[in-house]
Amino acid sequence: MPAGVLSGSALLFLPIAAVSLAVWQTLGAAPQGTVTHFLILTVAVLAFSTFTGNSGILSFGHAAFMGLAAHIAGVLTIPIQQRAIFLPDLPPWLATADPPLAVAGLVAVAVVTALAFLVGIPISRLGGAQAAIATLGLLIVVYGAIVGGRDFTRGSQALIGVPKTVDIPIALAFAGAAILLARLFRDSLPGLELRAAREDEAAAAAIGVDAPRRRLLAWTVSAALAAVAGVLLAHYLGVFSPREFYFQLTFAVLVMLIVGGMVSVSGAVAGAVLVTILIEALRSVEEEVNSRFFDQPAVFGLTDIGLSLAVLAVLFWRRNGLFGHWEIEEVVAPLLRRRRTTTTPPAAAGLPAQPHRAGRGALKVEGVVRLFGGLRAVDGASLSLRSGEIVGLIGPNGSGKTTLLGCISGALASQRGRVELDGHDVTRLPAHRIARRRVGRTFQNVRLFDNLTCLDNVKAALAASGPRLAPAAMERRALAAMAELGIADHAWRRAGTLAYGLQRRLEIARALAPGPRYLLLDEPAAGMNETESDELLAILAGLRERHGLGLLVVDHDLRLVMRLCDRVTVLNKGQVIAEGTPGEVEADPGVIEAYLGRRRAHGRTAIPSNQGEKER
Amino acid sequence: MRHLFTTLAAFCGKRRSAVAAAVLASAMLAAGPGHAQQVKIGYAGGFTGYLAPYDQPSLKGVLLAIDEINAAGGIGGMEIQLLVKDTRSDTAQAATVAQELVDEGVSAMIVSCDVDPAVASGVIAQAAQIPAASSCASTPTLPAAVGPYMFSNYTADNLQGAVLAQYARQQGYANAYILLSRDTPYTEKLPEYFGQAFQAMGGQVVAVGEYTMGQQDFSAEVTNIKGLDPQPDVIQTSAYEPDFPAFIKQLRAAGIATPVLGSDGIDSPTTFGLGDVAEGVVFSNAGFASPGSPLEAYEMAYEAKYGEPNDTVFTATGYDLMKVIAAAISAANSSDGAAIRDAWDNLEDVPVATGTITYKGQNRVPVRVVALNRVSGGMREHVGDFSPNPSAIPAP
Repeated sequence: MPAGVLSGSALLFLPIAAVSLAVWQTLGAAPQGTVTHFLILTVAVLAFSTFTGNSGILSFGHAAFMGLAAHIAGVLTIPIQQRAIFLPDLPPWLATADPPLAVAGLVAVAVVTALAFLVGIPISRLGGAQAAIATLGLLIVVYGAIVGGRDFTRGSQALIGVPKTVDIPIALAFAGAAILLARLFRDSLPGLELRAAREDEAAAAAIGVDAPRRRLLAWTVSAALAAVAGVLLAHYLGVFSPREFYFQLTFAVLVMLIVGGMVSVSGAVAGAVLVTILIEALRSVEEEVNSRFFDQPAVFGLTDIGLSLAVLAVLFWRRNGLFGHWEIEEVVAPLLRRRRTTTTPPAAAGLPAQPHRAGRGALKVEGVVRLFGGLRAVDGASLSLRSGEIVGLIGPNGSGKTTLLGCISGALASQRGRVELDGHDVTRLPAHRIARRRVGRTFQNVRLFDNLTCLDNVKAALAASGPRLAPAAMERRALAAMAELGIADHAWRRAGTLAYGLQRRLEIARALAPGPRYLLLDEPAAGMNETESDELLAILAGLRERHGLGLLVVDHDLRLVMRLCDRVTVLNKGQVIAEGTPGEVEADPGVIEAYLGRRRAHGRTAIPSNQGEKER
Repeated sequence: MRHLFTTLAAFCGKRRSAVAAAVLASAMLAAGPGHAQQVKIGYAGGFTGYLAPYDQPSLKGVLLAIDEINAAGGIGGMEIQLLVKDTRSDTAQAATVAQELVDEGVSAMIVSCDVDPAVASGVIAQAAQIPAASSCASTPTLPAAVGPYMFSNYTADNLQGAVLAQYARQQGYANAYILLSRDTPYTEKLPEYFGQAFQAMGGQVVAVGEYTMGQQDFSAEVTNIKGLDPQPDVIQTSAYEPDFPAFIKQLRAAGIATPVLGSDGIDSPTTFGLGDVAEGVVFSNAGFASPGSPLEAYEMAYEAKYGEPNDTVFTATGYDLMKVIAAAISAANSSDGAAIRDAWDNLEDVPVATGTITYKGQNRVPVRVVALNRVSGGMREHVGDFSPNPSAIPAP
């Protein structure tokens, strides 16, 4: 079990359990009902959060899973005599089935989970807003199906007579289990990969994350959790109609997520707690004000106004909710984190050297063509990179360097030509499959998983790259990769908080950790001053020496390229116009004319890195 | 929730949130012992949320009735104290709030206007042996679904359906077309009850059309009606805004002049503002304020209390319900829930704003007057008040 899961779950669960059990033991039926309802909503919020929090995709669809499970379990547990009255058109086997609640609940959860898996296959392939709209459509379709399946559900009419069996102990047990499950998933390796994809899907693909597949897993797990919440709610309410599981519930849950924080388990639970307390407090105030200060009830809607203000306040002051991207144990015990940072000396060693790999195999690009509409961004370019070799790829702005890098890494599909990796054709493979074949890359504009720790950035790459390491070994290797780039001290900081030069290094460390054979670096020295870029030069040269890596370096810093590279390929208008040693290329009249000549006429030897180049 | 309130006051005091503390402290001081001669009635209504358009007017009617009763010396000397709690139109909250009312010792309870929250509150009242009635839920199966302590108040869907069918047959209509939506029980079941009663009285339903609430475009249904053989003599629907205006406009635009029967959902200013297309539409509701009628007197009392004319029948049905509860308490001569329930179940011809109400022998679904109204020149014209033969009312 990953560190933090147990302490985090306990920190969330124990206070809730203490208060719930105290209410159960000492207070009457009304407050007990409020607490039970709160606990069930906690399970529902965690279901939404398990998908939305980890994937970053807002889901409107989980209320549909709750409703479906509620109806399935409800129909099975309504006493047979009442079933005959309210649902006279049930098929005989359903009319007489009389399973205990646990069995009915399991059936409902199983059916909903299977359905969610099937529906999730297309939805998980979508990203961002498209996926959110698809879940909205799902909510409406499932609602329509429940209303339409009148023989089974009474249509839009209320399902009456469901036994009210869920009380505080039952709801508390499920809330505890849901907290643990949500934390386990979040902190699992698939969860880490998904969170990486949430932060930056392209960068995640470049380290081997199959985002749709991870989304499907989160979707299915969260749907099962939603189904559990639906079964519990059905057997708490005792009466419900399809409308119960529609927009009102969806928005009630979303309010909790917004207040507490969309992307952490602690945020989801805190949102449920705070919103419940707020509602109860405002409700008491409203009733007291009405009964003490007015002859007749005059004040209504204080709760809704209060909730709206709470949401606005949170959006104004803490856009990511109260917990933001933090989990409770990270907030409660910052000391723990500091101690851990200082106990990482083994990492200083760096990754084990593998110079023997040099010279075996090659990355070959032959006649690759990539069109953007009528623009031939890459027009039949070829190049080769042997392992243990450093090749520079240069060319004027818009010459297609980054596009070619995209075609090699699988981020862009090429229309013609062939990319070959150690003799295997990888032209048609998607980015994450190429990454798993030990091709790492960095981006022109640094693309980190900003809200993950530096360590998690690197661990995500290790998790996604193929064979799984044991947790301890994975952490050691991640720290070693960071040590290689001299940034192991920053392991527990959020990547987004690093200084720019360190971010560049972290990106390289992330690409390096899984042990790539080829590394594609897109302007690694962009934005660095001369000292920084000299340091980088030394590090890159060291990588080749120690690991036998093949490096393909795109850069505008010609000084760096000329000093570092064994060979240089020059692109212009998508075509290779020169290739050779740095000396040969520099002397090539075509290159001078196309690229260097004009600049040299202005007395410059190095082309400064440009701003705003957008050709990927 | 008193405990929570106390905690909150303590919390506010600690934080020196002076205003809140002052408000709460004075509230605490004012909480003296109640009067000995009081009977508590609870209202767990949806005063915010989607039920607010129904439960807010009902509450105004209930309060008007209580004013009158208390001014006249209460019920057998007992003053009525109304405890109002907002369910926010939420089913879970409806159960919690009902439990709170039970804990505060109410003798009877008024619950929300829709089936889900009404049942959720009702089962709590049932368990505590306190009679409860929904302010305006019209589903006739509601009392049976909860148990002997649950009553209906509003004109039931099957009652309206039967009155409309009876009227249609009296007009000599033989063939009917029904337009329903399965989106709500009201828009689905009322036309179905109409159809059952219409056929039981010798008429024939030639076709049933279905629409989705909010669909706007009724061209498919209108084309379908045009092609029917035999052509319907009458069209019945319980569609309301925005569906009813859209439907009737497109129906008349297609040149179909068949009479249309609606139900109380279209008893709104919108319908009277539709102009020629709505001319002649007949619809049912809970009463017509004809000169000299109790409803006219009620309307005047309402305007006197609230300073504005009454604009919905739900205030009157709320008033009626409070009168019914008072009659039951008076007959029971007790504030005991079980005694009130038994008296309530035997009430006959209780005079209320909309006419009279009878529960005796009706399984807790009241028989009350159904008024038919015709849209005429943008005004409401009284067709008549009807109390159908109980045998003609379709079984729920």
